[in-house]
Amino acid sequence: MKSSATDCLLDLYDEQHELEDYQSGVPRWCTGCGDNAILTAVQRLCRDEALRPEKTVFVSGIGCSSRFPHYMKTYGFHGIHGRAFPVAEGVKMARPDLTVFVNTGDGDCCSIGAAHWIHAIRYNMNLTVFLHDNRIYGLTKKQASPTSPIGTKSNTTPRGSYLDALNPLSVTLGVANASFVAQAVDWIPESLFEIVKAAYHHKGMSFVRVLQRCPEWLPNSFEPWMQDPDRIQLLHHENSLQLSAGLSKVYKNQLQHDPLDMNRAREIASSEDVIPVGILYQNRDIPRYEETRQTGVLRTTETIRKGFDAELDKYTV
Amino acid sequence: MDADLQAHIAFYLTGKRHSPNLLAIDGLKLQPALFAGYRDLTRLRYDFPLVLVKEGPAAVEPLSGLIDAILDKVARGDDGERIRKHVLRLEQEIRTRVAKGTSGTFSTLWDAAAPALAKDNKLMAESLSRARANLKVDGDVIDCDASLPYHLLGHAWAITQTQRAKKFAKDINRLVQKLSDIIKADFVNSDAGKSAENLRASFGNGPMDSFDFAAMSRILVKASAKKKPAKSRQKRVQNLLAVLQSQRFFPTSSATAEAPYSFAFDSCNDALKAYRERLPKAIELARAIAMAELEVRGEYSEVKHDALFESFGQNGLDEAELALLPDYLVRINATSLSGAEQSKLNEILAIDLPIKVVVQTDDVIEESPVGHLAFALRSRQLASMAMGINDVFVLQSPAASLYQLREQIQRGLDYTGPALFSVFSGATKTSGGLPPYLIGAAALESRVFPAFTFDPSAGRDWASRFCLATNPQAEEDWPLREFAYEDEKNQAVAQQLPFTLIDFVACDTRYSKHFSLIPRTHWNDTLVPVETALAQPGRGSLDSVPCLTMVDGEDRLQKVIVDEKLIREARRCRSMWNSLQELGGIHNSHAEKLLASERLRWEEKLAAASASAAKPAAEPVASVAAPVAAAEAAPVEPEAERSPDEAYIETARCSTCNECVQFNNKMFAYDGNQQAYIADVNAGTYAQLVEAAENCQVSIIHPGKPRNPNEPGLEELIKRAELFA
Ligand SMILES: Cc1ncc(C[n+]2csc(CCOP(=O)(O)OP(=O)(O)O)c2C)c(N)n1
Ligand code: SF4
Ligand code: SF4
Ligand SMILES: [Mg+2]
Repeated sequence: MKSSATDCLLDLYDEQHELEDYQSGVPRWCTGCGDNAILTAVQRLCRDEALRPEKTVFVSGIGCSSRFPHYMKTYGFHGIHGRAFPVAEGVKMARPDLTVFVNTGDGDCCSIGAAHWIHAIRYNMNLTVFLHDNRIYGLTKKQASPTSPIGTKSNTTPRGSYLDALNPLSVTLGVANASFVAQAVDWIPESLFEIVKAAYHHKGMSFVRVLQRCPEWLPNSFEPWMQDPDRIQLLHHENSLQLSAGLSKVYKNQLQHDPLDMNRAREIASSEDVIPVGILYQNRDIPRYEETRQTGVLRTTETIRKGFDAELDKYTV
Repeated sequence: MDADLQAHIAFYLTGKRHSPNLLAIDGLKLQPALFAGYRDLTRLRYDFPLVLVKEGPAAVEPLSGLIDAILDKVARGDDGERIRKHVLRLEQEIRTRVAKGTSGTFSTLWDAAAPALAKDNKLMAESLSRARANLKVDGDVIDCDASLPYHLLGHAWAITQTQRAKKFAKDINRLVQKLSDIIKADFVNSDAGKSAENLRASFGNGPMDSFDFAAMSRILVKASAKKKPAKSRQKRVQNLLAVLQSQRFFPTSSATAEAPYSFAFDSCNDALKAYRERLPKAIELARAIAMAELEVRGEYSEVKHDALFESFGQNGLDEAELALLPDYLVRINATSLSGAEQSKLNEILAIDLPIKVVVQTDDVIEESPVGHLAFALRSRQLASMAMGINDVFVLQSPAASLYQLREQIQRGLDYTGPALFSVFSGATKTSGGLPPYLIGAAALESRVFPAFTFDPSAGRDWASRFCLATNPQAEEDWPLREFAYEDEKNQAVAQQLPFTLIDFVACDTRYSKHFSLIPRTHWNDTLVPVETALAQPGRGSLDSVPCLTMVDGEDRLQKVIVDEKLIREARRCRSMWNSLQELGGIHNSHAEKLLASERLRWEEKLAAASASAAKPAAEPVASVAAPVAAAEAAPVEPEAERSPDEAYIETARCSTCNECVQFNNKMFAYDGNQQAYIADVNAGTYAQLVEAAENCQVSIIHPGKPRNPNEPGLEELIKRAELFA
């Protein structure tokens, strides 16, 4: 519909936000922790998109990364370990007008919360999810996580871990209704920001795995890739992200990839030698659960009371 | 000159019959030859009658379409053919009844017609009852008669308004609920809300003696925020609620509200008056909706918005705001377009009001008041005048084509500005008892009343806005139809006949004096088809007279000569049609001129080229194709020129790891994007700069050269810094 002159005037008066408007407290993360980069990218997004703090919610589980909501001057829910998804889904279901983000760690999401993760993908609700993947349990001081590479020495695996790492991208791409799957690394801020932005604009569950450095427990984990820019493979496509001249200059290993090509996305997800960075898969046509179940009925006090009464009446003796 | 021809020419020039061999046509029941196949419309399956559907995806469906849909479901299997035959028989019966003036809905007409048909026919009764069980789409059945434009457009308009009302009710209910919630929340947070009394009341009426509500109240009062809700906001919200709940533009469920306004009118004057009277209320409502939206989103800010809403609607309402409210409908007959009413109509169209006007004409060849033949074509002028205003949606059509134009009608009703629907009903009193459908179709066919739409929302140029597609053979002056008959020797003859204004006028008893029947014994070669005369620019040599082929009541071919006045009228009609064609991009004179001059230029060029090619050592005409331009290189961002001595950070690559800013927060700082830069190179030592560069995990700190030559250990530091040059 056309917008009225009043709407235009109102837009004109819309508030401008600064980065500080979204910052809250001093992060307690270690110096050099990749979570800082993710926080900055997300705060920039909020500012650039002029997200209203009172209409924005960050939901997390437990872990270093899950402290994220504390550092955002928005609504937040620092939940219980592994349960960021169900909480976020509940928020979105009840208040589809809110912008909901999820911050979860590799332990939080891929270990204790794995069941919720799978179903959240299938529900495809409009959530923007960041998997802070530092390949270790950081908060509890270095235990192997499902994404720790085989041979990782940790407090629970002093002789090195025995299993191959789980690949969160492949897992996500394997679940029905996956609609947005991307990978970023915390040390390329420009592409991190672009991916965060694309994820935010996607309608449906956008799953962004961010490879995140934990200098405290795995200081050299990503060293080989940081040292050799050719081992970063930037994905680009006319229907996806485009590369700036600056990025192209540093990162020469580039791959044109159509984000609707699922088979290719799965191949890319499983590359080991290079780290693919960009959007692996995006399908805008997958329905959102909260929309599918939208009845259009107003939630008045009366309807809520009626619902409660009907429910409780089942138990009257 | 032959005596017959003499008499014919005299008639042609004067309209006077000076010979006993020129017969008046009054009472002969002659019809244009092309009508021969349409004597009994009730035996034809065509668009009419129509059903004005009560609820359904389409506002209007032809009876035959609904019957087909029913047959699709029931006429299957072994007895499918039988059922089809029976149901089509019923359709014909309904069509006949409606043509005779019976009215009713599809289902009532069915129920009235079926028993009579199936009285002694068990199988028929069985077919019809099976089909009847599948009659799911119902509504008033209406034939192509004098009331069709009024009912059909009124019905389509009403459905559009009902949809608007539904959307509006949804919006208003939501806003009212949210605003009420604000008031409730304010109360719950007030002292009264937290009083022991209110707390007790809110727990229902169970046994509550063991619960100390006074204590609960004390705790709540102590614990909750002290900030009182702003009085001004409470007042504003109350006012908004009052406006939203008392509005009369759409029906509400509220029992206390006054009856909703009516938006359908029989005069432009009344509609305009109502619009003016209600405008302040409309502005108040639109303003309340805009404010309420802000309020329920928690975005209303008195500082910013009070002044804005103070002056809201001072320039009236704009398109988007008007689109929330119902449109007005005016239905009038062209005969009532007197001076005053006409000027109100002009006003409605010219100042862009959301009013849809239906002007019905029952006569498109009324006699001009001055006496001589110049068909007044009042309604045609109406449509061209409206198109001249440029912002008016215009649809002109005979009623017979309204079903074909249903999508365009909907576009007109959805259009945000004024719309004019100029419709010829076909119900002309002087058309010798021919059905209005046939007269309407003939008006379209003969270009007397062409159908077109002008939709200003479709684009900015005529090509997007103007459409003539509904007219038969729109690229021709007159449409040509095949006419087949048997001659005296019983041989089949097929002939292409045009259908012109003269055929149309021949149906009208008022103009019979312009025609003369020529007895068969006096037929000869000097009787030439009307189109031959029309093709000449003027009177031409008088050695023949234009003659029309008609059929009489017994389907016998007759020849009728025509006087010159009608020929002139027909030429005038054609030239008006030609102008419309140009607007519709058919034979556009500008385009054709341009094309001709381009063609000429091209031919000259071609001739010149072949002449020079004939010369032995001619220069090549065109140079060899230029080398393909090098593919455009990706733009490279200009890099800031930096001296190797300068210390700097590649800020865009900083991953905000806090390392350097915690190391020395005077020397290193974050910018607006929370990325590091060197804030003050003198706020620390060169040693610190080098150490920061070494600690930066993404290696983007460049220490440059030392600034203080006396700093100790410089030699070693410079060596370490080289790694980050
Ligand atoms: C139910 C439950 N089990 C175990 C824990 C202990 N615990 C806290 S954080 C954590 C792992 C966090 O790892 P990750 O999700 O990768 O976050 P990181 O700290 O690496 O960012 C564990 C096992 C807990 N808090 N709750
Ligand atoms: S322990 Fe690792 S993940 Fe946790 S804050 Fe420190 S660096 Fe970051
Ligand atoms: S050390 Fe490097 S990455 Fe970290 S904040 Fe400073 S410049 Fe940025
Ligand atoms: Mg972790």
